[in-house]
Amino acid sequence: MTAVTARPTASRRRFTGAGKPWVPYLFVAPFVLLFLVFLVSPIIVAVWNSLFSQQSSGLGFGGTTTAFVGLDNFARALSDQDFLVSFGRVALYGLVQVPVMMFIAATLALLFDSALVRGRRFFQFAAFLPYAVPGVIAALLWGFLYQPSVSPLIQALSSIGVDANLLAPGTVLWSIANVSIWSYTGINMIIMFAALQAIPREIYEAARIDGASDLRIAVGIKLPMIAPAVLLTTLSSIIGTLQLFNEPQVLKNVTANISSDYTPNMAIYAASTLGKDPNLASAMAVILGVATLIVSVVVLRLNNRTTKRASDGL
Amino acid sequence: MRLTTRTARVAAMALAGAFAVTGLAACSTSDDGGSAADGEPVEIDFWGWVPGLEDLVAQWNDENPDIQVSFHRMTGDDGQKVEAAVDAGAGPDLVQLSTHNLPDYVIAGRVQDITEYVADDESNYTASSWASVSFDGQVYGVPQGIGPAATMYRTDILDEYGIEMPTTWDEYVDAARELHEANPDVYIANMSPSEIGQWSQEIQQAESSWYGIDGDSWTVGVNDAGSQLVAERWQTLLDEGLVTTEQVWTPEYWALVNNGTIATVTYAAWFPSLLAENAADTSGLWAIAPMPKNAGSDNSGDSGGAAVVVLAGAENPGAAAEFASWLNGSDDTQEALITVGGLFPSTINGLASDALLTESEFYGGQVINEVFIESAEQTPATWVDGPNYGTAQTAITDEFAKVVNGDLTFLEALDNAQAITVADLEDRGLNVSE
Repeated sequence: MTAVTARPTASRRRFTGAGKPWVPYLFVAPFVLLFLVFLVSPIIVAVWNSLFSQQSSGLGFGGTTTAFVGLDNFARALSDQDFLVSFGRVALYGLVQVPVMMFIAATLALLFDSALVRGRRFFQFAAFLPYAVPGVIAALLWGFLYQPSVSPLIQALSSIGVDANLLAPGTVLWSIANVSIWSYTGINMIIMFAALQAIPREIYEAARIDGASDLRIAVGIKLPMIAPAVLLTTLSSIIGTLQLFNEPQVLKNVTANISSDYTPNMAIYAASTLGKDPNLASAMAVILGVATLIVSVVVLRLNNRTTKRASDGL
Repeated sequence: MRLTTRTARVAAMALAGAFAVTGLAACSTSDDGGSAADGEPVEIDFWGWVPGLEDLVAQWNDENPDIQVSFHRMTGDDGQKVEAAVDAGAGPDLVQLSTHNLPDYVIAGRVQDITEYVADDESNYTASSWASVSFDGQVYGVPQGIGPAATMYRTDILDEYGIEMPTTWDEYVDAARELHEANPDVYIANMSPSEIGQWSQEIQQAESSWYGIDGDSWTVGVNDAGSQLVAERWQTLLDEGLVTTEQVWTPEYWALVNNGTIATVTYAAWFPSLLAENAADTSGLWAIAPMPKNAGSDNSGDSGGAAVVVLAGAENPGAAAEFASWLNGSDDTQEALITVGGLFPSTINGLASDALLTESEFYGGQVINEVFIESAEQTPATWVDGPNYGTAQTAITDEFAKVVNGDLTFLEALDNAQAITVADLEDRGLNVSE
């Protein structure tokens, strides 16, 4: 044990003593390089593209020229009613889907962490398995279950007198949410479960001696102690919500009630690929990026405050 | 009649060949890289998706040592891939393309004007297919396949309720009422808000077009008189609950077709084989009739076809056009394109080919292409594709989804789509006349 902990200290000392200050940079270089090439430069290109427009004249057969248009594309994107509505739609979706998913994931994690569940490994695996199904495949699969003539689910419902239309304008958003919950609850559960496993068992013992029930321990001790893990998974779920694309894009093939600009990402895809206006699409992508950044910062702020309060409370 | 077109076509081929040779000669004298002069063959890259093209390319290469074509198979109309390749200077010389996208290629300068090489092929093509590759008097491609429409109908269902297959749209609406009244579980048709081809074929039948050219300006006719006529027809069928509104190509749709909920399908010549594939259990119950006609007109409709175009990067447009002209128009290729490729020909010699006239078991032994040939002959050459077909198409399908939900009428949806399409063209600096 001591030998293992001593080794890194020794080597760290050797590095600083060797007088080769460039070595750390060498080690971070692969990350920095890939980060610059695949994240920073596309952002710069997108911002740059968003300031231009392809312009033709007359019938257009004379070719196109690229003109600097300043913030015109942003004005166009922001005055597009449907694009703004798509933000409202994913916000509504996120307000429902993220809490529901987090509640299920946390409940499952707490159950698996308690002594209540038999066959824990099996159920844990079963709950995690949908995450291994790629998002597009999951949407295809559920697409079948949403179509009355081929869905055992809807046929079963109608045999007990419930006429469900899961692809109607009012329900299709929640049908998409269902696919996401099915897909991503498992991974969130695993992260929370791992955090639970890291809590020292003595704390539970102390609580039990004080007369706390299992439920009280779960709500009063376990949940506050894994608050950072819960908020981390919440943050990535919120970002996932803003980026929503795969599930609605696939389900669009089985219902016309998902428009081509149903979510912000779909609107960007529609502008670039269907509408062939990469400049407008760049501006829309920048707007989505900024919106995601703002939401992330707000959630992180809340996160810090909550974890601080949680640790203060202990 | 047949003789004259044939003679004209042979003359056209000879002329096209001559043009190609002069084109090559010009190329080899002006360019020091001209390969024909060195005795090296000209090399042409060709991307396409029609089945069996490999064999046709091999046949060409055997017969034409001077122009060697190498073929790359695409999975379909790989729109974005081709655009990106051309813009990056890495595109092939020739590519197969949906004609709806051709105006964008012309505007973006991604295709070459090949009028001088292929102008004389015109007489061997249907008027509407030739119109689909011509803009402003210039020719930008060689048509390859079209989609004339006809109506597939369930003979057993119509017989059961004593209904004749309607020949006009007015009769069709009456038949829809009669059928649904006789059996509320049966609908005469499916109105898919997103199946744009089924919409545009009726627009073409009404001699309308989403786009047009008026001098130096585009016109946009998404909500023009012909479209309004079609809109009112489907509004009636929708309002009276006489049609289903599923998306075509979904398991739900095929389930409704298989179980006899949908009695007729009006669509292009490539649809019957897909219907036979997806509704195999109903074999022998179907027949095909001409699509219903508008009052006082014999017109039929078409949902669009494809073309082979010479891309911007091609160094030998003459040689490339010569191959495209042979591939799509030669007597040697028609049978393979029809039987192996599954194309409905846009050529006069193809339409006269015996390969088209086979009996189909699924359709009760009917020679179904006789109906489609007549349809092709009755398709008016009025349809014009315009810039940003994708925007118009998306606008229409998104608005139509609101129509089948009862939030809008077809007429309102068309007005919205018209405004979106016009605004998009104006944003690009194009002239649009109202």
